[in-house]
Amino acid sequence: MTCPYLAYRDESDDRRFDEPRAYCTAADRFVQPMRADICNDRYDLAHDRHCEIFLEHAGTDGGATDRRTGNAADGSETGGDE
Amino acid sequence: MSYADFLEGEPLIITAALTGGVHGKETTPNLPETPEEIGRVAAAVEAAGAAVVHVHARRPNGERTFETERFQEIDDAIRRRADDVIIQHSTGGTGAPDDARHLPLRTDPAPEMASLDMGPLNRYDHLTSENTRGLVDSLHAEMVDRGIKPELEVFNDGHLNEVHGLLERSDLAEPVYATLIFGPGTLTPPRPRNFLNAIDNLPEGALFNTLGFGRHQLPFATMGTLFGGHVRVGLEDNVYYRQGELAESNAQLVERVVRVATELGREVATPEQAREILGL
Repeated sequence: MTCPYLAYRDESDDRRFDEPRAYCTAADRFVQPMRADICNDRYDLAHDRHCEIFLEHAGTDGGATDRRTGNAADGSETGGDE
Repeated sequence: MSYADFLEGEPLIITAALTGGVHGKETTPNLPETPEEIGRVAAAVEAAGAAVVHVHARRPNGERTFETERFQEIDDAIRRRADDVIIQHSTGGTGAPDDARHLPLRTDPAPEMASLDMGPLNRYDHLTSENTRGLVDSLHAEMVDRGIKPELEVFNDGHLNEVHGLLERSDLAEPVYATLIFGPGTLTPPRPRNFLNAIDNLPEGALFNTLGFGRHQLPFATMGTLFGGHVRVGLEDNVYYRQGELAESNAQLVERVVRVATELGREVATPEQAREILGL
């Protein structure tokens, strides 16, 4: 089941896209395509097990984990997946 | 490969990683996503000095796909616009099932190269890209069948063990070509001594490519140039030109590393020279 906080939008604030893109209404931002795999429960991924944003927003324990993972401004990874 | 190879003047192969599968235009509007955008950018980085383009495929909304048909559209666009650049398909990523990981190998013609992740890596807080030995072996077998040169992706030193294991299990066409990757998380910590150790732990005669994520891209490309290896740059791995300033394009990142190589006295390989070095 798709994440209940997923929406597809073609604009938000100062950003506009030709095609609607994955937008997280819990985090109030467009999400990376790799995160959209989780939003959509694609490839046997599940938002309620694999998304720390959902878990934190839903008040479960997943959002409290250590996030020392990335180099982007929002703390998420930007490196390639080859 | 070593500093001696640098001194002997082996031409430098530059790979441009154009788009990747992790982030999209929500991170930088300069990232190409559609086949036509990727085709245009491939031509631009080739003109700037790249011999290889590392390719991922996206849906129209920017999300990743492994579908053969989308890779075919991208390859067709690249071949229409670029002269002679070597196409390297990605087979890596997220939690995609094994069957999907094979699909990028099935274009017509097959890509000359494809990536082969050598083991697991963590993503975010609850996701691991597994890359089991079974998947590595099945992807490699199909690459052999289709005449595709594997680019062995070494995300950490444990994956160097996996390179040696793959060599024991399979006949890899020489020269073995491995990309040494440095950065946060599951990657090898980006320190120069770790780079030298990784080079020392490669199989005898192996060539290496150098990949630093984020702000490590330029320093590691420079070290890779000096240590006699090859280099990969591009918006897949680093979206900044310098701190706080987004790169304008993939070509801008290629142009910078060409300038570095030229200053260091290292010739930049043409696609034809790269094919000879890589045994394509």
